[in-house]
Amino acid sequence: MRRFARAIVLAGLVPPGVVSAQDASSRVAVIEQAQEVKDQNLRPAEVGRVEQYVTRLTDAFLSGQVHWHPFWQNAYSGGGFTLGAGYTQYVSSYNTLDVRGSITFSGYKRIEAELVAPELFTRHGSLSVLGGWREATQVGFYGFGMTSAEDNRANYGFTQPYASALLELFPTRRLFLVRGGLEVTQWSQGAGSGSAPSVDEVYTDATLPGLGTKPVYWHTQATVGVDSRRPARGYARRGGFYGVTAHDFTDHDKTYGFNRIDYEAIQHIPILRDTWVVSLRARAETTYDKSGQQIPFYMMPSLGGGSTLRGYSSWRLRDLHSLLLQGEWRMMANRFFDVALFYDAGKVAASRSDLDLSRMKTDFGVGFRWHGLARTPLRIELAKGSEGFSLVFAASEVF
Amino acid sequence: MGRPLAWLPLIALLAATAATASAPRFYDDDPIDREPESRSAARASPLGIGLIYELGYNLFVNANREPTNTRAANVNTIDEVPDSSWFTNRIGRDTIAPERLARGVNADRPPAPERWVLLREKSAGVSPGFTARDANGEVWFLQFDQPERPEGGSAAVEIGSKLFWALGYNVVETFITRFDPARAAIDPQATVRRPSGARTPFTRDDMTRVLERAARHDDGTYRVSAGRMIPGKILGPFRYAGTRSDDPNDLVPHEHRRELRALRVFGAWTNLVDWKAGNTLDTLVEEHGRAVVKHYLQDVGATFGMANNPDEWDKGWEYFYEQAPSRRRLMTFGFALSPWQTVPYAEYPSVGLFEGDRFDPTAWRPHTPVTAYIEMRADDAFWAARRVMAFSDELIRAAVHTGEFSDLAAERHVAAVLIKRRDAVGRAYLPAINPVVDPRLDQVGVLTFANAAVAAGFAEGPTAYHASWLRFDNATERTDPIAETRSTAGTMNAPADVMRTPIGGFIEIDITAESAGHESWGRPVRTFFRRTTAGWKLVGLERLPDGKSAAAVPHRAAAGER
Repeated sequence: MRRFARAIVLAGLVPPGVVSAQDASSRVAVIEQAQEVKDQNLRPAEVGRVEQYVTRLTDAFLSGQVHWHPFWQNAYSGGGFTLGAGYTQYVSSYNTLDVRGSITFSGYKRIEAELVAPELFTRHGSLSVLGGWREATQVGFYGFGMTSAEDNRANYGFTQPYASALLELFPTRRLFLVRGGLEVTQWSQGAGSGSAPSVDEVYTDATLPGLGTKPVYWHTQATVGVDSRRPARGYARRGGFYGVTAHDFTDHDKTYGFNRIDYEAIQHIPILRDTWVVSLRARAETTYDKSGQQIPFYMMPSLGGGSTLRGYSSWRLRDLHSLLLQGEWRMMANRFFDVALFYDAGKVAASRSDLDLSRMKTDFGVGFRWHGLARTPLRIELAKGSEGFSLVFAASEVF
Repeated sequence: MGRPLAWLPLIALLAATAATASAPRFYDDDPIDREPESRSAARASPLGIGLIYELGYNLFVNANREPTNTRAANVNTIDEVPDSSWFTNRIGRDTIAPERLARGVNADRPPAPERWVLLREKSAGVSPGFTARDANGEVWFLQFDQPERPEGGSAAVEIGSKLFWALGYNVVETFITRFDPARAAIDPQATVRRPSGARTPFTRDDMTRVLERAARHDDGTYRVSAGRMIPGKILGPFRYAGTRSDDPNDLVPHEHRRELRALRVFGAWTNLVDWKAGNTLDTLVEEHGRAVVKHYLQDVGATFGMANNPDEWDKGWEYFYEQAPSRRRLMTFGFALSPWQTVPYAEYPSVGLFEGDRFDPTAWRPHTPVTAYIEMRADDAFWAARRVMAFSDELIRAAVHTGEFSDLAAERHVAAVLIKRRDAVGRAYLPAINPVVDPRLDQVGVLTFANAAVAAGFAEGPTAYHASWLRFDNATERTDPIAETRSTAGTMNAPADVMRTPIGGFIEIDITAESAGHESWGRPVRTFFRRTTAGWKLVGLERLPDGKSAAAVPHRAAAGER
């Protein structure tokens, strides 16, 4: 191109020694001759092959024509590397139906269908209707409280069909959030597989509430909060979320019903024009038993895993109440990539009054996040807790 | 389109022609002031450009490309850009009165906003908008202001249109007007493309959906920028590289068009960061009974810090993605600060991130580096800087006034920043190469010229000017030295031999300046004069030769070194 550019035109649009024909007597004539030559060799305008492919692909995504998508969410936290796929179909102008499934090497399975209506009530609300079934084969249970030992791991499994609806409303379009949901589900807890002993080999139903049970829950929930996160929940650099969620788990047989209240506060504080963001999160989950009913061990609040105590195994700590504090110092390397130094502290307790800041399990680490304007499709984190290192791969934001 | 291989047949033909012909260096009609468009471009057909492909190509291919240091290929023999379907010389050649600038390209009546009929949603860009028909039945593109920056977007479009029109580009006629949703109707044929891909009828709720993202007045109306529909058949965006293979008049690869390279300077001045091809447009129009492709900058609203999200602090300082600063921040966990992280900005709700105190035009960045941006050389930048410097304070204020800011302090601020940035552009580019301009040789043999850098106050006058006078054979390009002259000012008398040149004869004068602070001024500006019955006519000027030289303006290291 460079040689051509030099040859074809030079300080006067066309160089005399190259383009000028014998009878060209003016600069204009020389240029016109070149135009005539090109005119005889015109070709339709077209784009290159790579551009064609890229454009076809992006157009397909933007026009809703791409239905298949990867699905990385496994059946339950701790399932390990996940393979999955989903098929999304628009069922109306804005509403989608997504059918998806995943499986892990440890045998966790999930299959579900979700209808999402993102623009209800003139864009004041969204609705998700979800139905599916999942199975987890080796969920860790280490005992209750902060004194449980890593070596005491036992595994349990469960299967669970579920159907739920969750309606979210922003009455003022921004900031104020109200959410309500209903779920009908049955947990069928059973023996665990894997290298750790199964819970039923270590505990009895007298020592472990809910062991081997199959309660059917009517789970209702309601949230009120303020959400000012920007640019989006899936990737925020400023604003915060402050909310309270009340859950009611009503057991069909009135044996394992309970209530739970979650308190959550998230704040993102940009520093020096988003060079850094200090992100803080506090979350407390407290349960309340219903008179005469037990809270199954597998329904109790828990900490550990990729978005809570990242330096510990999934479900490492479990009890009736939990407190989680997280702090991150995020650095924006560019518009698509952040690095974060983080510190997590968490505690579980049998009594709400014990949810204090003493004797918490802590971890720290570094995280790498590839993100877009509104989502964090890849998060890789290396965390160090008192029980060693953990490597986290996730397809969503930590908070 | 625009691929080098596509030109092989033409090159072969041209080479064959060249083998049988010899031609003079200068023709009688040199320097031409208009690029001829002799063939019908009626066969040109619409072609889109993939936004994502273009983004990736610019960020990951172009950003690592070294400039070829090729001299601009569409300049005439005196190093000026002739008028064309791309560009019309205005400021710098003509005197533009403030009132004329304030009118800009706007030639026809403004929109009649009493009643809008909505035709289509706006499908590209961040700002909300519609295509709509006004009360006169004319179709307009309406673009609203974002709530975070009321008046900012429409003001930027308006001011940008005036400045880029004066600079010489084809721009869209735009007006600031009103939109009253209570008096808006929807065309029965209007449709909207839904996320599902389906096109369904445009509803009132669709209008509301757009207006929810727009800055609203207390009376329920909206300020809106209305762009008149560009005449002609729409062919899609132009590319900043290559040529249209279906346009016989499009000979010069676009990256070697000086006016496109110069956007790097004009863009820096106005902070026009969004260079995507989607902001340009080719149309097929009929001129003098012939179909020609006319090239537009159709959206110059991404100026004055108004592009995209108001929180994008690095706008104008870094590409969307840039390896060196990313790596530097990564290695230091952000403690190696870039200038955009500390530069102070005045806070006006209607003004974007736009400042003039720390502005360095040589380090300025658009969102993505297009090929023409990469190819800009020092002589292109010099040419562009002279045009920027041709805007007086009064002209700049007149242009900014068309933004119709309700806050006069904001208007004054934008004008003041533009003035500071104008001076920064001149300071950076005028003294960078030999700034001898406007050479004239009068009938009695007095050579006069000016020094653009000195005249603008950006450099001290040189110790002396030197001129080498040569007899020039236009057929063979052979030169014979006549004499050397020296002067401390921009005036010299021609040696006696020069005046013995016959009518039709040529002389070459190579002018250098001796300046301790500007070594580059020692490279001669080569000028060529032809003797005519009326006197001496300037027919050639070459500020920088082609090929390896310090002419290329680096684009890669600057950000990392800032």
